[in-house]
Amino acid sequence: MAEEQKEAKAKKRMTATQAAASIGPMVKEFITGTLRARAEGKQKLAYTFIVCHHEEIFRAMDVIPLWTENFAGICGAKRDAERFLQRAESLGLSRSLCTYALCGIGFDQWREELGQMPPDAPWGGQARPDFMISSGQILCDPRSKWYQASQQYMPDVPIYNIDLPHPMFQRDQDHRDVWGYYHKYIVKQLRGLVAFLEEQTGKKMDYDRLRELVALSDRTWNLIEETYSLRKAVPCPMGTGDAMNTMVPINFMMATQKAYDFFLDLKKELEEKIAKGEGEVQEEKYRLMWGGGLPSWFALTDFNYFNSKGASFPVETTYRMVAPLNEMDIPETKDPIEHLAWRWLGFWTLWFDKAKKRPGSEPDVERLINWIEEYKIDGVVMHEAFSCRTWHVGLIWQLHQLAKIYKPIPVFVIGKDGKKEKVYRELPSLILESDIIDITSYSEVDTRNKIDAFIETLESIRVNKAA
Amino acid sequence: MNDKQGNIFSTVEKYYKDYGLRAKELKKEGKKIIGYVCSFVPLEIITAAGCIPFRVRGNIHEPITTGDTLLETIVCPYYRSCFDLSVKEKYAFLSGMVIPHGCDSMVRSYSAWSYSLPYSYFHFVNIPNVCDESSFEFFNAELNTFRKSLEKFTGKAITDEDLAQAIRIYNENRDKVKALYEFRKADPPLISGTELIMVLTVGSSLPIAEANTLFDKVLADIKGREKSPINKGPRIFIDGACLDNIELIKLVEELGGSVVADTICNGARDYFPRTDVGRDPIDALAHRYLDKINCPKTYRKNKAGTFEGDIASRFGDIRAYVREFKADGAILYVYKYCDPFGFEVPARKAYYKSIHVPLLHLEDIYSAGTMGQLRTRIQAFLEMIG
Repeated sequence: MAEEQKEAKAKKRMTATQAAASIGPMVKEFITGTLRARAEGKQKLAYTFIVCHHEEIFRAMDVIPLWTENFAGICGAKRDAERFLQRAESLGLSRSLCTYALCGIGFDQWREELGQMPPDAPWGGQARPDFMISSGQILCDPRSKWYQASQQYMPDVPIYNIDLPHPMFQRDQDHRDVWGYYHKYIVKQLRGLVAFLEEQTGKKMDYDRLRELVALSDRTWNLIEETYSLRKAVPCPMGTGDAMNTMVPINFMMATQKAYDFFLDLKKELEEKIAKGEGEVQEEKYRLMWGGGLPSWFALTDFNYFNSKGASFPVETTYRMVAPLNEMDIPETKDPIEHLAWRWLGFWTLWFDKAKKRPGSEPDVERLINWIEEYKIDGVVMHEAFSCRTWHVGLIWQLHQLAKIYKPIPVFVIGKDGKKEKVYRELPSLILESDIIDITSYSEVDTRNKIDAFIETLESIRVNKAA
Repeated sequence: MNDKQGNIFSTVEKYYKDYGLRAKELKKEGKKIIGYVCSFVPLEIITAAGCIPFRVRGNIHEPITTGDTLLETIVCPYYRSCFDLSVKEKYAFLSGMVIPHGCDSMVRSYSAWSYSLPYSYFHFVNIPNVCDESSFEFFNAELNTFRKSLEKFTGKAITDEDLAQAIRIYNENRDKVKALYEFRKADPPLISGTELIMVLTVGSSLPIAEANTLFDKVLADIKGREKSPINKGPRIFIDGACLDNIELIKLVEELGGSVVADTICNGARDYFPRTDVGRDPIDALAHRYLDKINCPKTYRKNKAGTFEGDIASRFGDIRAYVREFKADGAILYVYKYCDPFGFEVPARKAYYKSIHVPLLHLEDIYSAGTMGQLRTRIQAFLEMIG
């Protein structure tokens, strides 16, 4: 059977930092830890999603989160997703849907059918959950459909679905006029989650502990900002390739001391590299921004390919799902649930005010412009993953708008009268096309040809600028 | 449509083919036409504001061109077509546009719509993902925000009485549509599926009072019919999202089937639920649009604790319609890249099996180019159940 075949092993990406190199074993230990916990049966395990601002609640209740997107990403990175994707297709699910979800549903169905892990499951496989916390929000449809679909194969596993909306950016509306009722709603949804977890675990929430965990997360958020800002240095000490590793403590380990300590170590490492003048690449020629899209987990070595051409990635929008708390205009409260709800709204509306001040701008575009300037960016690279509308619809438009309202690179040309004239060139951009874990959508040759052509464009601009 | 069946269908066909013809005339008279996509937009509020809601539709015959320069091709193909026609100024007569949180394609493309089109009014309505007490409370507030935004745009206050009146007229409209569906119960049906979808599509391009008048005329015409416009054949139920082009249904009927009922967004999903009267109008609208519209985008808790109980609760309307309209088989028609419907395919398949209704599942891309492939599959299905 085709779906039994595993794919060729992926090549390992070279990391620039020790911190990024430590992530692989850390994730493996996390996955095997969940399997141990399942066997011991002392703690409840829950399927859930990242970027829901609910980690503190989970950890305060001693519930172990099983990050299902993470497991699908691992399958992709190990080039072992195809057999699960094919199984999902055989159930009637289209390959055009979120492939994280398809991989997860295919895996679940297989595990439930066998009554044990599928053969050679990546890192031992994904543990069976006690319950599933899905999350309908303005962010992603599959998040409320995935577990509902998985429940067909494990009907005894209950679901709690939290709704976490945030206001959309509308030029004629001040989000502060509406966020009062958004906040009220999110607080009720999160309190509903607490009640569900209390019922499932038979334990009462310890609000003092929750408060401490929320404070720990807030400190970690601020520390991440300080750490990542160090990447503004020239040459850049750490690129997006590494950030696709260090996204693990941001998104999967929040509200733990381990995540905080990880960033303390990373910050120290980056400071040392900056002091020594060490960059991600030996001779930094181009500074690029990963301006949108989830990476192809099976092709992270493409970042090394960029590096080999002298291109470094000091900043990325992807997975930078935290922001400095002091930049958020959110009310003070002693209630940790209320704070979580404000932090949620503060994060999603962070760029609204700035975007309103620039004609033609919009929060995602504004973030690109600000980071282009702060990180001295020469070009923008995006990735369009065909199976994910959540993070990938709107990227073309953002680049279009960026080109329309922002022309940051001054160059001198000889004008009609023979005199030098200062003109502004558009920021070059590259859109790569593939998927997050479906390797059948990827061509290494085509991708690298596109990268080569982009590098040539960057080089021509660099030469012109120098002239 | 033959001449014997009266002029009303010629009018319907004219407005179907030249979609937006009446809206253009009204625009010249100074009326404000507000475009919308998706059944989640509360049309009563737009009407109560003195504006005319106009359902933006796509065109499966028109290749997507300009739209693709601004929006990814991984967007729902129906929605992509709507966007493409809009940026190609097909709907230049619109004064504004309302987009709800119906799916990721709508949410993520909102900026592309609002910056690429020259309309003076844009609004996004956030639809909760769950149906519980707090979500109704939230949705009430969100609908009041929408109300205020329209008041600001038109310079006219929207009173509760304005809303109550709009609710009454929309309920009348839905009653008329239900009456049209009643004619589908005959075997063969007295109104073909092709005719019905054409009538409903045209209705969503007219002011509500004019749509009601049109529906009355269609009802009167059909009442006078002595025989069906189509031959007796397998009775087919269509399950899926928005089907605003007649081609698929026409194909089923050309191949000998009779399309007798549906759950589609511009059909029963939208027209069958009424709004409660005699309660706070915003509250009544919140309940209609959030709870009564059975869209897969809305998460509904599995109260039964079993898979069978869950699908019986989520898809119970299918069983009711299949029985009421005596369907022999069903076509589940899903657009590629549609996450809300796409993830439900295995569960819907299981549900049809549980109620012993033969099912044909089709994934399509909203293009006339696929009709040849669909013909073969539909023909085989009709032969199988016929």
